[in-house]
Amino acid sequence: MAVQVHVTSVIRNAVGGQRKVSADGGSVREVLADIEAKYPGFKAQVMDEQGQLHRFVNIYLNDEDIRYLQGADTILSDGDEMSILPALAGG
Amino acid sequence: MLKIPRAIVEEMVAHAREAMPNEACGMVHAQGGVPFEVHRVKNIAGDEKSGSPFRYEMDPMQQLRLEAQRDETGETLFAIYHSHVGSEARPSPTDERQAFFPPGEFDRDPAYPNTFYILVSLASEPPEVRAWRVLKRTSPDETRPVVIEEPIERARWWPQWPWRCWMRRWTGRLRHR
Repeated sequence: MAVQVHVTSVIRNAVGGQRKVSADGGSVREVLADIEAKYPGFKAQVMDEQGQLHRFVNIYLNDEDIRYLQGADTILSDGDEMSILPALAGG
Repeated sequence: MLKIPRAIVEEMVAHAREAMPNEACGMVHAQGGVPFEVHRVKNIAGDEKSGSPFRYEMDPMQQLRLEAQRDETGETLFAIYHSHVGSEARPSPTDERQAFFPPGEFDRDPAYPNTFYILVSLASEPPEVRAWRVLKRTSPDETRPVVIEEPIERARWWPQWPWRCWMRRWTGRLRHR
């Protein structure tokens, strides 16, 4: 299944500076693995070694935070749009 | 000296006051290097995601929309601003950590290398507004990144205001109708 992934700000450096990449996969995890295959080193920016999403990274699927769906195991449909962005925070 | 139109400084201060007792946060967009618009962003820090007096976290959806706007219009992210309700207008240790991706990776370039961090402090009256640059540390022995203040000059509203940007935007909007 092909999905469009919007990559924002500093995470763009991990995909050769592109704003948008196409990737295949039936779930968020598979899509991230597909991007990793094309751009080695990408996944470490987004997930830890146990496959958990970093706290300081947000992934949205069609305007919905995947943490409120099924996380990295969220199932994707054709034409879904995913966005990956670093949390912008401070104290 | 960092020239910022007075109206922009006043808008950030107004936002900080309205967000009390919580921290306010947002972005200042520039066109051609001239800051011209303040975008207030919802602070979703805290358990209820409704803000916190000690932390800020920008609403990711608004963050996405503003980034899309910048990509579309060629505007740039001039500054990321937030308020401190009880401490001075300089980046806190948390702010310093969060300026990097992943947070605390002080040996890398900061996440927004060409963007200023503007702090509004409500600890004093009138509120203090100061701008900072956060850069990677110079040696691994350092425990903190390099933080440099850029003194702000509150420019008069009229001559510095980039009217051309506004005109371009308006004509762009009309075209999309």
